[in-house]
Amino acid sequence: MTIKEIEQQIVEEFSVFDNWMDKYQYIIDLGKSMPVIAEEGKKDENLIKGCQSRVWLDCREEDGKLYFSADSDAIITKGIISLLIRVYDGHTPQEIIDSEIDFIDAIGLRQNLSPTRANGLVSMLKQIKLYALAFKEKEEDKTTGGDGEKYSVEEVQKNVIRALKQVFDPEIPVNVYDLGLIYEVKVGEDRSVFIKMTMTSPTCPMADDVVNDVNNAVSDAPGVKSVQIELTFEPEWDESRMSEEAKLELGLM
Amino acid sequence: MEDARIKILSEVRGLFPALSEKMNGEPLVYLDNAATTQKPIQVLDFLGDAMVRSNANVHRSMYELSDRSTTLYENAREKVRAFVNAPGRENIIFTSGTTASINLVADTFCRRLGPGDEILIEGDSHHSNIVPWQLAAERNGAVVKVIPTDVMLGAGRSGRVAFEMLDQMLSDRVKILALTHISNITGLVNPVGDIISKAHARGIPVLVDGAQGIVHEKVDVQAMDCDFYAFSAHKIYGATGVGVLYGKTEILETLPPYMGGGDMVETVTYGKTTYAPLPLKFEAGTPNFTGAASLTPALEFAEYLREGETGCVLGEEEERITSFMTGALTSDPDIEVYGMADGLKKTPIFTFNIRGVNAGDLAQLLDKMGVAVRSGLMCAEPLINSFGANSALRASFAPYNTLEEAQVFIKCLQRAKNMLL
Repeated sequence: MTIKEIEQQIVEEFSVFDNWMDKYQYIIDLGKSMPVIAEEGKKDENLIKGCQSRVWLDCREEDGKLYFSADSDAIITKGIISLLIRVYDGHTPQEIIDSEIDFIDAIGLRQNLSPTRANGLVSMLKQIKLYALAFKEKEEDKTTGGDGEKYSVEEVQKNVIRALKQVFDPEIPVNVYDLGLIYEVKVGEDRSVFIKMTMTSPTCPMADDVVNDVNNAVSDAPGVKSVQIELTFEPEWDESRMSEEAKLELGLM
Repeated sequence: MEDARIKILSEVRGLFPALSEKMNGEPLVYLDNAATTQKPIQVLDFLGDAMVRSNANVHRSMYELSDRSTTLYENAREKVRAFVNAPGRENIIFTSGTTASINLVADTFCRRLGPGDEILIEGDSHHSNIVPWQLAAERNGAVVKVIPTDVMLGAGRSGRVAFEMLDQMLSDRVKILALTHISNITGLVNPVGDIISKAHARGIPVLVDGAQGIVHEKVDVQAMDCDFYAFSAHKIYGATGVGVLYGKTEILETLPPYMGGGDMVETVTYGKTTYAPLPLKFEAGTPNFTGAASLTPALEFAEYLREGETGCVLGEEEERITSFMTGALTSDPDIEVYGMADGLKKTPIFTFNIRGVNAGDLAQLLDKMGVAVRSGLMCAEPLINSFGANSALRASFAPYNTLEEAQVFIKCLQRAKNMLL
């Protein structure tokens, strides 16, 4: 079945229920009957950010098709993910990337979620598409004979910066690159990446998280072989290091 | 007796248009009063009227409209003064909320602190009574220390603050003590009066976070002898975006201004500025004068709910609710309820978890049944985490809530639990 057909099937299933308590009971039952994720899949890097409840999402590839597994400490959330997984499981990365799903709106789920949970739903969808993108790139790397030949050092440098712009400071809605936290990006001939960076404050309690996020984002950037990060507070960061865009974003200009 | 109860309850509830709203087709049972209360018609009418008939900037102009506005604003200050029995109008500073009030003190008072000085806070604190002190301490090398709860000490599961630790913690290094009058999680009333005397015996000033206290307790700042008392208007039937900081004159006089600009000055030159006398020294910029003025009808309303036959009926109703809720929650073996401690007065704020059930799931199902409750960390992450939880459910009652609503809540909770377990 195509993604669209599965969506249609779900919409029909939900049309049987005439009130939301019954729909929720169904979602709860889906959540309860969902296969539990293996403990190794419950690692922090599989945690989806932006969900109020904790949600882990893992993805594996088999014969060019993707299969997802997930878990959450909230049953309703788990039921909703199980619907997403049912829609996306067994499809190719390209099919997933191209899909525009609308069953969530069609069954009225989005309007019936609290805003915090609706945001969580958006984060889950985003994560599924990110997995699809990553697997697609890996696939392409294989067919072109690996990153080494495919990307020049300059291209890798650009890819790293693009990846850095996807990592956000936990307290300021600006990415770490435009914030001026990145002091140095060096790409070696062997496509190994060295990054020297800082934090907005030496006492930043989220420092480990930010460094982890940078590490993950840069590792996933096309062409990157390895990443080494050095955290420094010399010189100390200040607002003048922000890009014009960042200053504009924060209303400092 | 029952007739009088029904008559008064429906009279009071009839004054709150929001209470007859329907949510998802069900009558609203609003039990998130610790977050904000609904507004009675007196306050709503006042706000509309003030914006129509008295809208002009305060303290600035010579025309009648501005006089009206200034009068409403200053009348509210007098109303607040009388409500908390402060000595004078100079002791009442309008801010944007409890959080802003505490930040004002943390920022200005702690400028005199240095490395090694200690700021003492409670283990049951709201984030607003933790983070401002951490920020202040970060600037001057001071240390924030926490009076632990029974949970932190492994001596219980209630979240009650172990004030018996106070004597050994009140050292000469402690420069200020930040208390919580009533915890927004446990609903327990802390014995602030006794603690303040102990702190004062060592010359340590005390701030009290009264966000919940102002609603459930009769506050007399002179009898309590606190140096600062902070609360928000929106939790006691007033407008949002308005708070109060009560401060003793002698200590407010020694604090530097917090923000600069607007009405807080006496004379300004490019070289030097002198500041307005209290309380305006701390009210930089155009205040939320309409919102602040709403404290007059809001606090009058709070008095009406506390006095006479109405006060009597509502007081009894609150006791009934507390005992019904306590019984229902503690008798269910699947429920772990926090904030149950002997010897401390309990206000009707109930925070708990059902084992094996996510609080967010419960809140979502309750919402579908018309019941509005809070789930999550309730801005008290350290305390909730100390219970070994990363979220909890909270039902918090106001004087306009009824025993029937408590019963509906428990019935809906059981239904949601059966769906989820």
